[in-house]
Amino acid sequence: MMKIARRPLLAGLLAAPALRGANAQSRVEGAITLVAYAGIFQDNYTKTVVEPFLQRFPGVRVNYVPGGTSAQMLGTVRAQAADPQVDVVLMDVTTSHIANLEGLFAEISPAEAPSLAELYPEARAVGMNKFGPAVTFDNLVIVYDKQNLKPEISKLADLWRPDLKGLIALSAPPNIQGLALTAMVEKMEGGSHTQSIDKAIAKLKTLAPSVQTFEPNPDGYSLILNGVVRVATGWNARAQLYSDETNGRLGVLLPPEGSVFQINTINVVKGSKNRAAAVAFANYALSQEAQKAFTERMFYAPTNAAAAPKIDPKAIARTAVSPENRARMIPVDWVEIVKVRDMWNNRWRREIVAAAGR
Amino acid sequence: MKSGTRLVLLTVPGVILLAAIYVWPMYGLGRMSFNETGPTGAMIPALSSKTWRELFADPFIFELTWNSIQLSVVSSTAALIFAYPLALFLFRTQSRWRGVIAALAIAPMLVNGVVRIFGWLAILGDRGLVNAALQGIGLTSQPVRLVYNWTGVTIGLTESLMPYMILALVAGFGRLDRSLEEAAASLGAPPWRRFLRVTLPLSLPAVALGWLLCFVLAMSAYITPKLLGGGRVFVLATEIYELSITSVNWPLASALALYTLVLLLLFLAAYSAMSRRQA
Repeated sequence: MMKIARRPLLAGLLAAPALRGANAQSRVEGAITLVAYAGIFQDNYTKTVVEPFLQRFPGVRVNYVPGGTSAQMLGTVRAQAADPQVDVVLMDVTTSHIANLEGLFAEISPAEAPSLAELYPEARAVGMNKFGPAVTFDNLVIVYDKQNLKPEISKLADLWRPDLKGLIALSAPPNIQGLALTAMVEKMEGGSHTQSIDKAIAKLKTLAPSVQTFEPNPDGYSLILNGVVRVATGWNARAQLYSDETNGRLGVLLPPEGSVFQINTINVVKGSKNRAAAVAFANYALSQEAQKAFTERMFYAPTNAAAAPKIDPKAIARTAVSPENRARMIPVDWVEIVKVRDMWNNRWRREIVAAAGR
Repeated sequence: MKSGTRLVLLTVPGVILLAAIYVWPMYGLGRMSFNETGPTGAMIPALSSKTWRELFADPFIFELTWNSIQLSVVSSTAALIFAYPLALFLFRTQSRWRGVIAALAIAPMLVNGVVRIFGWLAILGDRGLVNAALQGIGLTSQPVRLVYNWTGVTIGLTESLMPYMILALVAGFGRLDRSLEEAAASLGAPPWRRFLRVTLPLSLPAVALGWLLCFVLAMSAYITPKLLGGGRVFVLATEIYELSITSVNWPLASALALYTLVLLLLFLAAYSAMSRRQA
């Protein structure tokens, strides 16, 4: 009985800021188009965020359009700049920053979206404290074949094990996994990517001959599950989900040497034809209720600081915001990384991929 | 209405269609290449040659060009070598199965390119059929790397070009006259000499056309280098994709696309000039 009585109370408490932000929800109506990632992200985001939002705002319809990669989403928004057909976009921070600079996204304030006030400071900072903030945190992990790899991978340095020769899949830059890995290896070697990546390049060159592919298709998780490789890089949230779906065959490691946050932002398109509903949706997606539900479903770390303590500790432990994991995170400013991306990309091609042979 | 005017009017729908699907997008591509990209990746509307200067200042562009040409020459030539006997057989055979054989020869064109690539990955991968056979008969103890490198891309591209080569050759073999070969035979020429002195020279126009067609297709091939190259094979088409889809540098991607187009036009012009000289 107690449990049953607590749930609505908890849900009510969690939903309060979201409702406050849109206490004029009776006035919010019409359709909005949300562009975000496809596949399991869409399935789970629809169940944990979109559908509950629709229950709270019965007058609103959300048209979820799978937008491909963040860059493809940016292309869509760019092409529609004169007459936007999209209202809300969920994309990687490196591309949303470009869209912010190009004036494609609108500013949103805590006055209209109160959930913003509950976010971690770094979540709002990525939107320059005025544009769309971070909606999920994720981090780079090492994924491996738990069934066939003995001993298992326990640290980043294990990638250099001789028994893994030819059994590794890495995503080279400009893919952001490759950029994140560069920062991680530089840290492992005692350097800092903000100063130089010389140590990372030198170390990765020695790993190159063990790499089967620098462009895993469709992704590293699939290559491991199909037995093509034993180890790959991946993103924590998807890796955790695949791990559950395969009864633990896919091992997931947040390296003790450190990892890097990947950030998705939620953005309201400038010139949205239904700004009120778009802001209401963004506010709900950032609310404690939605953040808790999505983290517990898909292991993306929440960006709402107030939501974190209320999330199932087992789910939190599998994200990068658990106290133990958070301490291992390497601070990376993605906006600064974008400025050096071409240089890093060129060094990978000329020094690391070249060392792997043709 | 004069017949000349009617003829001109008949071309109007085609011209409009071409303008809509080719000229206008090409204009857009050209215009985009004169925009600039800021240090954080944001596109800056401009009318500047900065992007073009950046393109030619980077020596990697010449490496990409060389890679593309090298891959296209090798795979087109390999496709020619494999396709020529097949095409000649198809042209000459009187078998009632000719239609079936012809359909089989061009069947790969009916299969989606991505599906074909994944087929190659299954065949040539470390745990694929070829490696299983090599290890089974004791030729190697470790898998031979046949995919995720230049070898894989060359094999995949050659296979995907072969149907085009076969069609071009069969269509161009019309000039082959059996009686000329018979005449050569009656004068004592052995089969290999008949082939080198009669059959091959007569089929050269078809060979040149088929090779050029395949070369152009190979230069613009994207799926095969992308999926079979394992991130080791950098060519113009994959770079255009990376710039536009991953780095979101549309001005540079547009400039590179136009550069590739001009390169192909130069090859076509050279072919045209050579054909005229031959004629």
